[in-house]
Amino acid sequence: MRINSNFVKAAAAALYIACSGFAHAELNVFACEPEYAALAKELAPNANIYSATTALQDPHQVQARPSLIAKMRQADLVVCAGADLEIGWLPMLQMKSANAKVRSTDQGLFFAADQIDTLDKLASVDRSMGDVHAKGNPHIHFDPNRLLTVANALSAKMSQLDPSEAANYQKALADFSTRWQAAIPRWEEQAKALKGKKVIAYHTSFRYLFNWLGIEQVADLEPKPGLAPTSGHLASLLSRAEQKDILAVVVASYQDERGANWLGEKANLPVLMLPMSVGGNDASQDLFSLYDNAISLLNGVK
Amino acid sequence: MTVLNNRISLVALACAFVSPALLAEDSSLTNPAISAVLNGYYQTAERPLAETAEGFGLGETELAMSANIDDMFYGKVTAVVEMHDGETELNLEEAFIQTMAMPAGFSIRGGRFLSDIGYLNNQHLHTDSFTDRPIAYRAFFGGHYFDDGVRLNFVAPTDLYWTIGAEAFKGESMRAADEHGEREFKNVGVYTLYSKIGGDIGDNSSWQAGLSYLRNENGQVTAHEEGDEHEDEAAEEGHDHSHAASYTGKNTYGADFVYKWAPNGNYKYQNLTLSGEYYRVTDFVPSDLHPEDAPSKDYHQGWYLSSVYQFTPSWSAGVRYGEVDTQELHGDHFHGQKLKESEVSLAWHSSHFSTVRFQYTNQKGTNFDGIEDDNVFTIQYIMSLGAHGAHQF
Repeated sequence: MRINSNFVKAAAAALYIACSGFAHAELNVFACEPEYAALAKELAPNANIYSATTALQDPHQVQARPSLIAKMRQADLVVCAGADLEIGWLPMLQMKSANAKVRSTDQGLFFAADQIDTLDKLASVDRSMGDVHAKGNPHIHFDPNRLLTVANALSAKMSQLDPSEAANYQKALADFSTRWQAAIPRWEEQAKALKGKKVIAYHTSFRYLFNWLGIEQVADLEPKPGLAPTSGHLASLLSRAEQKDILAVVVASYQDERGANWLGEKANLPVLMLPMSVGGNDASQDLFSLYDNAISLLNGVK
Repeated sequence: MTVLNNRISLVALACAFVSPALLAEDSSLTNPAISAVLNGYYQTAERPLAETAEGFGLGETELAMSANIDDMFYGKVTAVVEMHDGETELNLEEAFIQTMAMPAGFSIRGGRFLSDIGYLNNQHLHTDSFTDRPIAYRAFFGGHYFDDGVRLNFVAPTDLYWTIGAEAFKGESMRAADEHGEREFKNVGVYTLYSKIGGDIGDNSSWQAGLSYLRNENGQVTAHEEGDEHEDEAAEEGHDHSHAASYTGKNTYGADFVYKWAPNGNYKYQNLTLSGEYYRVTDFVPSDLHPEDAPSKDYHQGWYLSSVYQFTPSWSAGVRYGEVDTQELHGDHFHGQKLKESEVSLAWHSSHFSTVRFQYTNQKGTNFDGIEDDNVFTIQYIMSLGAHGAHQF
């Protein structure tokens, strides 16, 4: 039998790549939301990064589905928003995936909200208030300064888990910080005219964005957090809108537009769908373009 | 099972569960999660082998507490309070510990817990989309099978979800009927083996499929003496509200699947769940039975198919069809029995934590508790208080 020498070479090369792959195993990162997958990509460009959700999915209502268990089983690092955003599904994934490495924040578990001060912390919580988060608003990724603090802590976590690559993580962090810090004043300049504007929005999804840019959310399409807009509540928003000081009705990419469209039509207000995260629309491909796009969409209605 | 008629004991139990909540600022991964589930109903007719009786009633009222014990162990206790025939029964449905730090995807659970066979069995009753478990579960597992025992589970490090597990249980609730109290039962009566695989299909759909096997050392029926029929029926009446399986056998084979769909994988506004299970129970015929008394079929079987569509955040509707085909021992010979259930349910969810459900069931039976063509209407509420644990896929 003649053996094809090219085939042998190819097989040897494949084997070499496979083995070297094991020898220098890259960090397996499981991100709960796409913004943290994007941040991990900035800080560890060579890591295997998996996002459990997309910007079109409500992160409060994710199913602890088999594919997520399988991915978490293989993760070295799990990065989530925290502040109980994932309380409905993360504990089940941790239980089912039997991966001891990602159970505790001492090891491979990272909560972004733990690194910063959240807005709207509540002293007491009652379910009659709706599905509120006692630990404050978890949608922190639209605050560039807080996100930079998170990036620093996440990079340190990566170095802790994978010390042999620490120099590369530090380099990536320095590079990201430089570009991010250069972008912040540019975004603030672009958004200057938005300061003091009033909006009606769905949920408190963009709480940090509005807080940063000085936009005021004067009413919420949800009567209470987690509850769908009701016709009675929308009618009350219509009378609020008649004060004629509202810039736009804002919904996130995973939220239902119907209530917003009704209000927009009745009150003659523009309805703006902002990307909740990276991938929320075609223009938002990474954290930088996500911010660019959100600000330019807001500017488009002023 | 302990019967408690003493209200003070219940209050004391409730306090034991609740007081840590006052100490803890909120519940999180590190503090105990404490919850209660309230469940009440009105049902127009009797359903065979069901947990719910005719008229007004309370379903399982659940008190649960769970927490990481330390970095090695997780623990959970679920106490269930039920009312039957004017008596308050307190039952422990779960009291288990689970390892959290075993390497290589292994975990061990010990204590009292829900077996991981099938799709529905490891889920709590209050998460169901119908007022009772399918008839196959009621006939073969006593509604849902929980027991004292131990489990070893392994999750493979693959992108396709694959898990495999084995369990050993005491098996008291799975013992074949023994009205004379003469049988010697094995201490470890039940062994199970199960495997599940699952994954996603694009962004919109997810699926899981499983196979299970349950070995019941005490499941084979012993032959009755002649003239036992009356005793037999009397014994059965009393069984109505126990959690014991009504039809047992040495071997139970099961297959299950579930498919879920949501547009873009966003479960908030709309989603669809399709699920089904099939069970076959064999080797139940007494070994000393005369060959001419053998049943027409040497197996019991049961299955169901269900579909639940949540069409707005506040409304969901479900249809389910299920049947069982069993052989019941009457004295020294078997009678074939069959029950078919067709059900429609409509549920209103004021929030994530409250459900009010309307259900219509049509039961068609052949030699099954005298049921021929019965209609059952049920209205039910299920509401959960407190920090409720996450639900499974």
